[in-house]
Amino acid sequence: MTWLVWRQHRNQAYIAAAVLAALAVLLLVSGRQMASQYQSARASCAASHTCSNLANTLSLGTPAVSLLVTLTVVVPCLLGVFWGGPLVAREFETGTSQFAWTQGVSRSRWLAVKIGWALLAAAAWGGAVSALVTWWSSPVNALRHQNFRAAQFDIQGVVPVGYALFAVALGIAAGALLRRTLPAMAITVGVFTFVRLVIGQDFRSHYLTALTKTFSFLHPAFPQGSYWLVSGGVVGPGGQVPSASQAGGGPHLSIDGVPISMSNLPAACRTLAFQGPFKFFPCLTARGYHPFITYQPASRYWAFQGIEAGIFVLIAAALVAVTAIVVLRRDA
Amino acid sequence: MASSDPAVIQTRALSKRYRKVAALTDCTIIVPEGRISALIGPNGAGKTTLLRLLAGLARPTGGDIAVLGTRPGQDPAFLAGIGFLAQEIPLYRRMSAADHIRIGAHLNARWDGTSVRQRLESLGIPLGQAVGTLSGGQRAQLALALTLAKRPRLLLLDEPVAALDPLARRQFLAHLAEAVAGGDLSVVLSSHLLADLERICDHLVLLAGSRVQLCGDVDALLAEHQILVGPRKDTTAIERDHTLVHAVRTPRQTTLLIRRNGPVVDPAFETADVSLEELVLGYMGQHAGGPAPAHQSAIGGDQ
Repeated sequence: MTWLVWRQHRNQAYIAAAVLAALAVLLLVSGRQMASQYQSARASCAASHTCSNLANTLSLGTPAVSLLVTLTVVVPCLLGVFWGGPLVAREFETGTSQFAWTQGVSRSRWLAVKIGWALLAAAAWGGAVSALVTWWSSPVNALRHQNFRAAQFDIQGVVPVGYALFAVALGIAAGALLRRTLPAMAITVGVFTFVRLVIGQDFRSHYLTALTKTFSFLHPAFPQGSYWLVSGGVVGPGGQVPSASQAGGGPHLSIDGVPISMSNLPAACRTLAFQGPFKFFPCLTARGYHPFITYQPASRYWAFQGIEAGIFVLIAAALVAVTAIVVLRRDA
Repeated sequence: MASSDPAVIQTRALSKRYRKVAALTDCTIIVPEGRISALIGPNGAGKTTLLRLLAGLARPTGGDIAVLGTRPGQDPAFLAGIGFLAQEIPLYRRMSAADHIRIGAHLNARWDGTSVRQRLESLGIPLGQAVGTLSGGQRAQLALALTLAKRPRLLLLDEPVAALDPLARRQFLAHLAEAVAGGDLSVVLSSHLLADLERICDHLVLLAGSRVQLCGDVDALLAEHQILVGPRKDTTAIERDHTLVHAVRTPRQTTLLIRRNGPVVDPAFETADVSLEELVLGYMGQHAGGPAPAHQSAIGGDQ
C-alpha cells in the first residue's frame, strides 16, 4: 500500500522537496547574514550605550526575503489544496477507487495508509518550513519583540504544523464528500482561510485570561519582551475613557497603538496637549487619569503556540474521522 | 453442468435504491459454480448496480446477498476471491502496465504477475508506457490480465467489450475463454448486446426495469420455452395451460413465445425451438410492453 501511495504521489514529493531545498538555502544564507549583522550592531551599540534605541535604527535582512518569509503563511493552505484535495477525490473522479477497492486490501487500510502518509508529509513539510522561518527570524524577534503578533505567530513555532495537518485533513475530507478534485480544492481554500481568521482573531486572545497593567503617564512601564497587546486605553475617575474607534474621529492620543479620542479627556488638559507631554501628562495624572493595557505576557508565547496547534490538530482529527465515515460507509 | 453445482452467487429479494430511484428491485438469482453468466439488459436496467453489489463496492438497501458463501464486503478475505472490472476500465493513467503489476503484487496476497507480463507480451502491449497512451482495447486487455492475476474464483465484468472494436472484442473474449478453460473460475459479464456474449455464455441473467426477468442455465431456459406460430385466433386456452411471455399478432398470423407446462396440443399452431436471441427479445418486449422486432439483435438499441 505504501508503495502505491509513493508511486502515486512521488512527483508531488519531488516538487515539494525541491521547493523546500531552495527555501532552505535562501533562508540559511540570509539568516546567517542577519545574525551576524545583529551581533555586530549589538556590539557597537553596547559600546556607545545606544542599545535601547537599536530597534529604531537597525534594519535587518532584505525586503524580498522578509516578504518571502511572510508569505510562508500560505504554505499550509497550499499543502491542503494540492495534497489533501486530490488525495481521494481524484480516485473517485477517475474511478480508480474501484480498482483499488477490489484488490486484496481492505478499504480501511487503503484509506489509513493514504491519509497517514499525507498527514505525515504535511506535518514534516509544514514543520520544516516553520523551523527554517523560526530560526531565520530569531535576530528579528530579539530586536523587535513582535513574534507574539499574528503576522509572526502564525508562521513560527509549532502552529504551522497544526495548520498544515488541518489543511490537508480538510482537503481530504472535502474530496471525500464532494468526490471532485477542483471543488474540493476551492472549498479547502475557503474553509481554511475562514477557520484560520476566526480562530486567530476571535479566539486566540482568550486562550488564557489577559493581564491588565495600569501605569502612570509620567512613568510609562510597558511589559518586557515580546508581549502581545490585546487592548489598551485610559481609565479616569469615571471609569474607562472610550477609545477613538468608539467615539469617532478627531485628534487622539495613542496608548501603545490604541487610539484614545482627545474629546473624552478633561478640557483643561486638552489645551495643553499641543504644548507637548511635559504639561499634558502631569495634568491628566493630577486629575486621576491613567493609561492601561491588557496583554498576554511574553512568557505565555509557547503556551499559546501549544494551545493553538492543539486546536488545529483536534479539528484535523475530526476531519479524518468524517473522511473515514464517508469513505467506508458510502458506496464506491 | 448439473444444477446441483454449489452457488457462487445467491441473492434473495435484493434491492438497491439511490435516494428515490430504484436501481435494483426484488432481485433473486442463483449463479452456480463454473458458469459464464451473461448479465443482459438494456442501459439503465440495473446491471452495473448488481455487479457493484456483488463486488462489495455498493451496499444493498434490502434483501440478502451471498457471494462465494459470504456477504460481499471490504475485507481482504472476500476481496481475494473476486475480480472486478468496472465499465470505464479505471486504471492509473499516468502509470505504466509494469507499475500496475507492481501495485497488484503489493496489494494482493496471491498474485501472478508473470501471467500478466506474458499476456501483454503476446498481445504486443508495451509494459513501460503510460496506460493513458494505450488504446482502449489494450487497456481492456491489461485490465483483464490484472484482474485475472489475482487468481479470483469469481470474475465480475461490467460491459467489458462495450467500448472495443470488433477485433479487440474478439481478442478480449478469447482471452477470457482461455482463462475460464484454465481453471476453477466463474464469470458474470454484462452487456446490453446479446451478440457480444451469446457464444461464450452458458448461463443467463436478464434484467429489465431494475427487475430480474430470467435467470438460469441457457440450455434449460431454451428447453423450457417454445415458439408457437399459427393463424390469428383466440389463444386463451394456450395462455391458461402455459405462461405466455410475448405475443406478436398480425392480421393473418399469431406468434407466441411461451414457457411450457407440458406439451402443446393445439394443432392449429406449429411449434418451433426458441433461439437465445428470440428468448431474450421476447422477455425484453414483454417488459417494454410492445412487440419486439424479431430481426434486431440489439436489445437496448445500439450504444
